[in-house]
Amino acid sequence: MIWPAILGSAAATYLVRSLPFVIGFRGHLPGAASRYLEALPVAIIAALVGPAVVAPAGALTRGAEPLAAALVVAVVAWRRSLLAGVIVGVVAVALLRII
Amino acid sequence: MSLLVFAGASQFAMVQLFSDKAPTAIVVASVLFINLRHLLMATSLRAELRRLPIGGRLFAAFFLTDESFAMATGHFRRGGRSLAYYFTFAISLYVLWNLATLAGIVIGSAIGDPRRLGVDFAITATFTGIVVLAIRRPADAVIALVAALIAGSLALAGASTVAVITAGALAPLIAVFVRR
Repeated sequence: MIWPAILGSAAATYLVRSLPFVIGFRGHLPGAASRYLEALPVAIIAALVGPAVVAPAGALTRGAEPLAAALVVAVVAWRRSLLAGVIVGVVAVALLRII
Repeated sequence: MSLLVFAGASQFAMVQLFSDKAPTAIVVASVLFINLRHLLMATSLRAELRRLPIGGRLFAAFFLTDESFAMATGHFRRGGRSLAYYFTFAISLYVLWNLATLAGIVIGSAIGDPRRLGVDFAITATFTGIVVLAIRRPADAVIALVAALIAGSLALAGASTVAVITAGALAPLIAVFVRR
């Protein structure tokens, strides 16, 4: 029961990751499509952040995560440093969860 | 499982489904759905990975995760060109993920709740920072905010499996209508 599911899941996982690399398109993309593809990466990463901030572990946040995320935005925008933002974020969320 | 299905969210979902004795088809379908977002990620990495031969691209695809996608995108957005950056990061992550899985099997029960230390927030903070650094025009900020809001609302509404793919596919439509 478990092994067929693991092998099937492995195939499904690999399929969605490799498909766009295998099928190719020729010629130039229309402007609208290339603007869409250009905006795609940031949108996906932001979409990963949304649920983690408002519903960490599946339940509505008690406020610590949105506050800490806002702090990360401020620190990274100000210092232009990813590491500084992550450290501030982790410390802030740990402290805010205690309160 | 970590060796074959290198996908964190899927693995947690699978463990849950196994303990519910879900049928194989349901497990595979859930994993396919959770990972549909990687279709979008691979699509957006195509332009850079096109420099590789087909074998290299297929090799790269196995290690494509949210984290390696985010780091590679950040790297390319800062003007980086080297694909070694992607491979080094993605493969290290694979090795560490499996070492950590092994450690979890051996000493898992001895560790308490990781949420207490805020360590689980490190990935969220990293992604947040990458988005901030990647924003170059006001429209980028609007798209990021809309994507986060759609995905967050869907997750709250209980549709967390489709949250990222839906928000990730919808929000960039804004760019289509914005003139440079």
